[in-house]
Amino acid sequence: MNIIEKFFESGRKHFVEGGRFAKLYPLYESIESVFFAPARATRTAPNVRDNLDVKRFMMLVIVALLPHYAFGIYNVGYQSHLASGLSTGFFPAIFTGLKVVLLLVVVTYTVGFFWELLFAVVRKHEISEGLFVSCALFPLTLPPTIPLWQAALGISFGIVIGKEIFGGTGRNFLNPALTGRAFLYFAYPAQLSGDAVWTHLCGGRTAAVDAFTGATPLSVATVTERLADIQGVLTDAGYSAAKLMLGDYPGSIGGTSTLLALVGAAFLLILGIASYRIIFGCILGLLATAFFLNLVATDNSMPYLSLNPFYHLMMGGAMFGFAYMATDPVSAAHMPVAKWIFGFSIGVLTVLIRVFNPAYPEGVGLAIIFMNLFAPLLDQIELKFRLKKRVPNV
Amino acid sequence: MKSIRIKSGFNIKVSGQPAPEVQSLQKPTRLALLPERIPFVKPRLKVKAGDTVQVGSPLIEDKRNSEIQFLSPGGGKVVDVIFGPRRVIREIVIQLDDEEKQVEFESLPEIDIKKIDRDQLIRLIVNGGLWPLIRELPFRDYPSPDTVPPAIYVSLGNLEPFQPLPEVYLAGSTELFEYGLKVLGKLSADRVQVCASRTNTAIQRQLNGIITLTYSGNYPVHDPGVLVYHMKTSTEENRSWYVDGQNVLLLAHLLKNGTYPTRRTVALAGSCARVKKHFHTRLGAPLAHITDDRIDDSDIRYIEGGLLTGYAGSAHTYLGLFETALSLIPEGHEKGELLGLFRPGYRKPSYSRVFLSALNRENLEMTCSVHGGDRACIACGYCAQVCPVDILPQFTYKAVLAGEVEESLEHGLLDCVECGLCSYVCPSKIELFETLKNAKADFYKEKMA
Ligand code: SF4
Ligand code: SF4
Repeated sequence: MNIIEKFFESGRKHFVEGGRFAKLYPLYESIESVFFAPARATRTAPNVRDNLDVKRFMMLVIVALLPHYAFGIYNVGYQSHLASGLSTGFFPAIFTGLKVVLLLVVVTYTVGFFWELLFAVVRKHEISEGLFVSCALFPLTLPPTIPLWQAALGISFGIVIGKEIFGGTGRNFLNPALTGRAFLYFAYPAQLSGDAVWTHLCGGRTAAVDAFTGATPLSVATVTERLADIQGVLTDAGYSAAKLMLGDYPGSIGGTSTLLALVGAAFLLILGIASYRIIFGCILGLLATAFFLNLVATDNSMPYLSLNPFYHLMMGGAMFGFAYMATDPVSAAHMPVAKWIFGFSIGVLTVLIRVFNPAYPEGVGLAIIFMNLFAPLLDQIELKFRLKKRVPNV
Repeated sequence: MKSIRIKSGFNIKVSGQPAPEVQSLQKPTRLALLPERIPFVKPRLKVKAGDTVQVGSPLIEDKRNSEIQFLSPGGGKVVDVIFGPRRVIREIVIQLDDEEKQVEFESLPEIDIKKIDRDQLIRLIVNGGLWPLIRELPFRDYPSPDTVPPAIYVSLGNLEPFQPLPEVYLAGSTELFEYGLKVLGKLSADRVQVCASRTNTAIQRQLNGIITLTYSGNYPVHDPGVLVYHMKTSTEENRSWYVDGQNVLLLAHLLKNGTYPTRRTVALAGSCARVKKHFHTRLGAPLAHITDDRIDDSDIRYIEGGLLTGYAGSAHTYLGLFETALSLIPEGHEKGELLGLFRPGYRKPSYSRVFLSALNRENLEMTCSVHGGDRACIACGYCAQVCPVDILPQFTYKAVLAGEVEESLEHGLLDCVECGLCSYVCPSKIELFETLKNAKADFYKEKMA
């Protein structure tokens, strides 16, 4: 028995029946099972079980998100230094970024874990790892300037209202991280919209240096008046296709890099964790809608209509949302065809909200929540069809 | 020859396969009948401790139909009747004597099979205590002797780890097997399907021209329930009967020789068995007699039947009437390795692709560990992907828990072939299989009551 095993064994007695902290058993279990898979043999058939458990499943989603954190930390610091007129060297940028992002992550996890533990203790079940994924996703969707108390409030709303009141992970039909994010947007629009919120200022500054505009590509695309040359407008604002792909521009902490989101999506698809039906459905829906808008666009219509469909995919957090939020298996559609429709509709809505609702420049979050609401209906319809095809066995 | 192929199902890559060799074991000192392990039967004891019995004397009868009796696998003295909780009869143990007198049954020469009256043939099987070897879909109880089946499926080979190979138990018994097929033909107006794996060339050579249906694909494509599901043209066929290939030999032995059969070919396998091969032994043999000193470890599970659908026995129990396999694998009571969660898992078999074992073609060692805690369903959909009969186990499970019998039937509950794959793959460790199997059995009992 090694030291770590001894440590858990000696702690165990306090958390099991009759121990001082017996009520906090879910806490103990949750931490111990990170180090050691539980010692549990099957009691009924099948005698053998697959090695996969929910912990591994969720852990890998978090692994997929780590590059976004690495990039987000750098980008937050870099944009901050740029706007504050400070050195944009790698290490200073990382340092600033770390300060901002780590604090947010710590607050999110602490608050989120508190709620989950509370419900786990009251309901006497083990802590579900879905929480760790929600808490990993949530900060990535926030602007770096978000006050910590708002982040705490947001994740509380997401976990409690988005998930626990429905009975916890597995019974929720909304994506908790997005629910929290949407709540913040509607409750505190001042801190979550406008060009200023996407860049953290440091060094005691209250305004960015003159050369720094801070406008995100989405807001550039929304407000431009120059007709029929929207790509040119974006390029003039510094948003070349390459920059949009890479994501080194002001935006939410982790959502700007389409390239990383594509890599993450590929990772999750190869492992079979994310549904290819949903991801491809989303991308297809987005491209098709943007293409359709191109077709109806005239020389005098809104410039946004004529934006190249691939720009839609590259701008903002669309791909991030598709790869990690739309694919949350619990809140997504469950049936194969329903998944395609679910994904496709998310793509469609993302573009429509972006183009036609200037008050909400990034449409992907809202699109996903909206489709979360419809997923059960889509499932029901497909289920009906499927059951009708079954030859009854009576 | 018809051929069936399925894309669903799953083959577990587990090590410990039995070799095709076979060895005959000495006569054991004791044998037993395990009424507890005979599905659905409500046993009434016909003997008590101290009684003398012959090979073929009735030990219990079914209270639901007292014609159906289960006979003694050996001759000697009843030394013990062991009861479990709520007075279920666990074991009726017989101490064998040297001579082992045999009850004489009426024998049936091969040429008479065609001529004999069907009812009379059924009488012979029922009196010989072997009627329950014939099972009826979808509930898998023995059929009522006065029904005529739409077809009888004879399954040769079983893809579940680790079952005996048909070419081994049929070796040298082809004639007896053909005799048995004729009997089944008589019972079903010649609608017998003899099913074997398409890739098993040994059995195809041995039974040239006898096999009528081949299958290919993953476990449990061999199961008659799966074959019927994928072939049926009418709902009537859901009531088909089936007999395991080895049990055809028992039936044939009874009718041909007029004595109760006693031989059982058992596969001893699993990573804890030092010798992994087939053994000829007796029906109801003690497990310890089969394992003898062929064991490696101490914390071992004795699985009677397959790794998925079998049940746990011990060194002190006996072979169940229907069981032809004994697998020994580690219990898996220990915790996982340190930070196993983050390891690539090249040697951890999984249905999913989240371990590096997805690239490993070797068969890997498995234990009886659950590998995780109980969680709510995360809608991964794996259970529906593996189900060989297109059930959506996660939805059916919910319907069952909510007490919605009609709804669960609509979901195809009765098509469930009880393969256990849904529970096997579930990352949330939900007991889907158990729940569905019990729901099915409850529905049946209610219907019969
Ligand atoms: S429901 Fe489960 S046990 Fe039944 S057939 Fe499908 S996978 Fe097998
Ligand atoms: S395998 Fe388990 S977790 Fe996955 S959908 Fe089925 S019941 Fe839910």
